[in-house]
Amino acid sequence: MAVDAPAVPRTAAAIRPRRERDQELLVWPDLVFIEFIAATVFLLMFVILSTVLDAPLLNQANLDITPNPSKAAWYLVALQELLLHMHPALGGVIAPTFALGIIGAFPYIDRSNDGQGTWFGTSNAIKITLFAAAFASIFTVALILYDQGRHVNVVTSVAQEFDKDWQWPGKLSMFQNVRAIQTGWEWSIPVPESAQLGPGEHDGELNWPDDLSHVPMPFNGTSGPDWMRWGPPTFLPAWMQAMYWYDLNMNTPAFVVELFIPVAIMVLLPVIMILMLRRLGWVNNMRDGSIAIFTGMMSVYFILTIIGAGFRGAGQDLVLPWDVPHID
Amino acid sequence: MAVSEQPPGPGLTGWLSDKLFNNYIWRSIFRSGYPNTPRNQMLVVATNVFLHLHPTRLHKTHVRITHTYCLGGITFFFFLVLTVTGVMLMFYYVPAADRAFQDVAALETNIRFGMLMRNLHRWMAHGMVISVFLHMMRVFYTGSYKPPREFNWLVGVILLTLTLALSFTGYLLPWDQLSIWAVTVGMNMAGTVPVMGEQSRFILLGGFEVGDAALIRFYTLHVIGLPILAAVFMAVHFWRIRRDGGLARPL
Repeated sequence: MAVDAPAVPRTAAAIRPRRERDQELLVWPDLVFIEFIAATVFLLMFVILSTVLDAPLLNQANLDITPNPSKAAWYLVALQELLLHMHPALGGVIAPTFALGIIGAFPYIDRSNDGQGTWFGTSNAIKITLFAAAFASIFTVALILYDQGRHVNVVTSVAQEFDKDWQWPGKLSMFQNVRAIQTGWEWSIPVPESAQLGPGEHDGELNWPDDLSHVPMPFNGTSGPDWMRWGPPTFLPAWMQAMYWYDLNMNTPAFVVELFIPVAIMVLLPVIMILMLRRLGWVNNMRDGSIAIFTGMMSVYFILTIIGAGFRGAGQDLVLPWDVPHID
Repeated sequence: MAVSEQPPGPGLTGWLSDKLFNNYIWRSIFRSGYPNTPRNQMLVVATNVFLHLHPTRLHKTHVRITHTYCLGGITFFFFLVLTVTGVMLMFYYVPAADRAFQDVAALETNIRFGMLMRNLHRWMAHGMVISVFLHMMRVFYTGSYKPPREFNWLVGVILLTLTLALSFTGYLLPWDQLSIWAVTVGMNMAGTVPVMGEQSRFILLGGFEVGDAALIRFYTLHVIGLPILAAVFMAVHFWRIRRDGGLARPL
């Protein structure tokens, strides 16, 4: 084998366009001058901005005085907004890391060379972009409004016009907000006396949420028959102990509310969007699909940032922008 | 060697420019005169240390403003100005919890142009985050991540995270209520990382809450660690543009 043989054969996709000298310009002056003008314009713009608008400086840092609301830097406010609706690890770390991973992976998902270097290179790209932006924005706003639960007050006050004692029915509490599934929704399934799982007595029914809020994880060392019980694995190094779920019991309603439902929504909505776009006949290849997903993610980030920065007041309550308290 | 062979023009301006630009000292700095022939224009790009990152020629679609909106270049320009204003701010700033706030406040009251430097640094930092986002969107919607530029897109994603990290670490430095609580919120997010959340939070803060140790860590990352990392990735980013045949354009 020849020593200088390429490790990877050059595919058609990797071949560069041929140089056409008559289509080329000289970098000096045609590019260098544009760069110079852009730099000058932006420097001037920012010098003017900096003379008229001072950077904020509040009171000296004091960990004993917590401003309400405390907000992250504006580009992280979107994640802070997610924290209100799901488990902090999911909203603050896992979901954004996953999103960044997907963004990084686009060139490896969409490998064709078609339409490169052209704005909205496929025939349906603009339609897809608009559709995905609208779809993502509408659902993000709707989900935030649902989780805030303002509609409960509105519906209750209207219903109480007709019936003074009207209360939101417990069976429909999942329509109040997502947390109500854990705290307000109660139901039970009758369980025959003979069905006995583990030690202890059972009261003949399986109740949501109480009976499911302390479900032992398999092999957690503190539940089940004697042979499945053991002491904490102190012989393991600390990092391995941190990874083992010793004595961990799952709060199933909390798991459903904080992890399962948010993950399901974050997976299902994009899937539904892609299926709709396929049904419309707009998405025909990976590039179209990538445009839809990327636009959706950018729109969600944008909407979350707007709501987190402009519409979250004291206690992270949803308020109008002029009701957001001024912090000093 | 690129040498301008033009004789001095007539009149006073000709005489003046001849005296200014055609003397021994000037010629020791700039070996050639203004590049006014295609040959010299290519030579000046190829031989100048700052310009040689560029090719000598480029396709005419690449200078169309609506193709790129100069967003990558503007981001880089912001990085450069942020470095300059950042160095100036470093002259007056001591990263210690009992001094930092006073030092920043003194920029407004005691130091000539101190507030201008701080404002420029602050607004351009926001500008850089925005322009890097817009640049990513431009590259995406023009399909410029397609082969052979896959890896450069990945380098860009790394640069996006580095930009956010640079901005985030800088956010703490004024040591006011806005900065300390924004960082506390951000660090609490880091604390929720599965398995090693508490550890990573502790490592970043150098303690359990935002204090002196966190300030010096954020400062060091902000002024030296992250900028060097960003500069390295930028160098790769720009070099790859050259190696991949310039900006993406229709095949």
